[in-house]
Amino acid sequence: MKFKDKHRFVKSNMKRNKTRVWMTILASTMGCAFLIMLASVGFAIHKTAIDDVMSYRLMNEIEIQKENGPLVEKDVKNLEKIKNVKAVSRKKYVPASEMSLGEYTVYAEVNSANIPSERKAGLQLEKGRMPKSKNEVIIGHHFAQELRKEMPENFTEGMSEEEAQKKMKELAYDRDLLNQTLTYHMKVDQPESKTDAEIKTVQVKVVGIKEKPKKEWMIDSSVLITDDLRDEIMPLLSEMDPELKNNDDSYSSVKVYTSSAEDVKAVSEKIKDKGYLTYSVVSELKELNIYFTLFKAGLIFIGGIAVLIASIGIFNTMTMAVTERSQDIGIMKAIGATPKTIKRIFLLESGYIGLWGVGLGTLLAYLISYGVNFALPIIVEQFMNEKPPEDFILSYIPWSLTAIAVTICMSVTLLSGWRPAAKATTVDVLKALRRDV
Amino acid sequence: MISVRDLSYAFKIGKKEKENVIPVLHHVDLHVAEGEIVAIIGRSGSGKSTLLNLISGYIKSQTGDIVINGKQVSKLSESKWAEFRLEHLGFIFQSFQLIPSMTAYENVELPLVLKGVSEKDRKDQTLRMLKRVGLDQYQSHYPGELSGGQQQRVSIARALILNPPLILADEPTGSLDSENERELLNFIKELNEKDGITFLIITHDHEVASIAHRKVEIRDGYLREGSMLYEVQR
Ligand SMILES: Nc1ncnc2c1ncn2[C@@H]1O[C@H](COP(=O)(O)OP(=O)(O)O)[C@@H](O)[C@H]1O
Ligand SMILES: [Mg+2]
Repeated sequence: MKFKDKHRFVKSNMKRNKTRVWMTILASTMGCAFLIMLASVGFAIHKTAIDDVMSYRLMNEIEIQKENGPLVEKDVKNLEKIKNVKAVSRKKYVPASEMSLGEYTVYAEVNSANIPSERKAGLQLEKGRMPKSKNEVIIGHHFAQELRKEMPENFTEGMSEEEAQKKMKELAYDRDLLNQTLTYHMKVDQPESKTDAEIKTVQVKVVGIKEKPKKEWMIDSSVLITDDLRDEIMPLLSEMDPELKNNDDSYSSVKVYTSSAEDVKAVSEKIKDKGYLTYSVVSELKELNIYFTLFKAGLIFIGGIAVLIASIGIFNTMTMAVTERSQDIGIMKAIGATPKTIKRIFLLESGYIGLWGVGLGTLLAYLISYGVNFALPIIVEQFMNEKPPEDFILSYIPWSLTAIAVTICMSVTLLSGWRPAAKATTVDVLKALRRDV
Repeated sequence: MISVRDLSYAFKIGKKEKENVIPVLHHVDLHVAEGEIVAIIGRSGSGKSTLLNLISGYIKSQTGDIVINGKQVSKLSESKWAEFRLEHLGFIFQSFQLIPSMTAYENVELPLVLKGVSEKDRKDQTLRMLKRVGLDQYQSHYPGELSGGQQQRVSIARALILNPPLILADEPTGSLDSENERELLNFIKELNEKDGITFLIITHDHEVASIAHRKVEIRDGYLREGSMLYEVQR
């Protein structure tokens, strides 16, 4: 029997019991949609977590720390020697944080960096260039908006948050800072620090502005100065706070950049062998992936139970179909239909029910998923007066999930259709011919 | 064409311990030559249908041999039997055995569909066969919309569609009136003479037996071919 004929045969059989067939399809649709929807929440959380991790860190970045105390120049030299290390970015914290431009003032996080290795590490600028001489600096993207005129006392009192933010913005510096010269105040946060008159200042020139951080909520108002400038100003600061002398040579942050993300694992191992602690996105992702894969498997398992329940419907429908048609089956066997043909016909029928269920279920799941992702932020905003995080999704259906769901649903369907189909082949010809079945 | 040797059969009734064995056929020998019409006669309950069911492969016997068209069929597996049946045997039943949800056309076409014949060839052959049995006007009627005689003609068309060399018929006229019966018998004769089809027909009707070349009687499960007592030469 040709497939086309089987198909036609099955189609006409299904048409004879439309309601029953559609009810069964509906059950499979719901089972399949439930499975996909449930798992899609797991997939969404996983995706959000990964996107989150990847969006503010570079794949080829390895953070280095030492168990006992900070890293020093010797450690950096040591790290630079490792194969496939492209650059070692090292920063030293500078305790003086106040800078000003005319009547505008800012308290920024200031670090000194080795400029050539920053360049090699791939520091991205939005504007300008890397510093070439001692008094040139790079500022963060949000530096300008933090650079403000002095606020009157209790300036924001009685204002709503939005109003306050708006007022603050009005006070912020609103012109281009590139090539502007800032005054850097040599002042540390010490109670017994000197009076304003005694504080020395250094002029620094903004030559570059860093790119905007990838995450919407991240604010970068930091300043990067040259190591030479730091060497010059540290004695001034130590005068105020003698303790600063002690850890003058320690780095506050050391990061290794590999040539490519693939090298991260091997390089991390080597660094660990040398007795350092490492931390990279790759290692974080690995743990994250294991955790979420288990989580998703759990959700798929629970969703699979719904599919299993739907399959009972298919089993019932097919058993009834076989019983109803056992006379036809008997006649067909009597004139020469093989058991294989009979079995295939019924498997095909359950397969079609499953296919419809899976198709409609997947479609439904996509629609619900889309609807939920679209509607949820609106609902959250309406009822809780709070904006949900940027690009927040509750449900994510990647192709892999669709493939998994289709495989599960179809296997369960075929399994549940198997017994009725096998039963059809055992119909007794003589009983059927006697109308005795 | 058919050669049955030393075939016995017993029905087993009931569960294992209280099993009841009812012997129905005893050491049956039967030979049907190509081109013959053989009628099996006998009283009701004598085992005629059982013999035909064994020859059709609907039931299986542990003992004896059945050879049809040179093929030893008694040991065939179920699916091999089905294939053989489709290719070599045509069946006519007392109660027609048409599939009620299929039209006359679809019922006649069914063996071609099972064999996997292409749709175009099927249409040709089916329409020709329906015409031959005089039902070309009724091709889209369902069995329920046809008279007994017409239904039997549909079933004959179905039996003939794959040109089998042998047709087995269990009381084919049992549900027909005398006019339809005569028509059917004439048709069988024609098929035998023109197409050389061999017939094995079960009947308790003398009219039917009259077209047979040979009559074979079964009495209480015993049949001995060639014995003067049970074989009646035409
Ligand atoms: N399925 C069956 N189970 C048990 N006994 C049966 C069955 N079919 C037929 N018989 C018995 O076998 C004998 C022969 O039956 P059958 O071959 O149908 O006779 P016929 O066709 O000559 O009237 C009968 O006595 C009948 O009671
Ligand atoms: Mg009988």
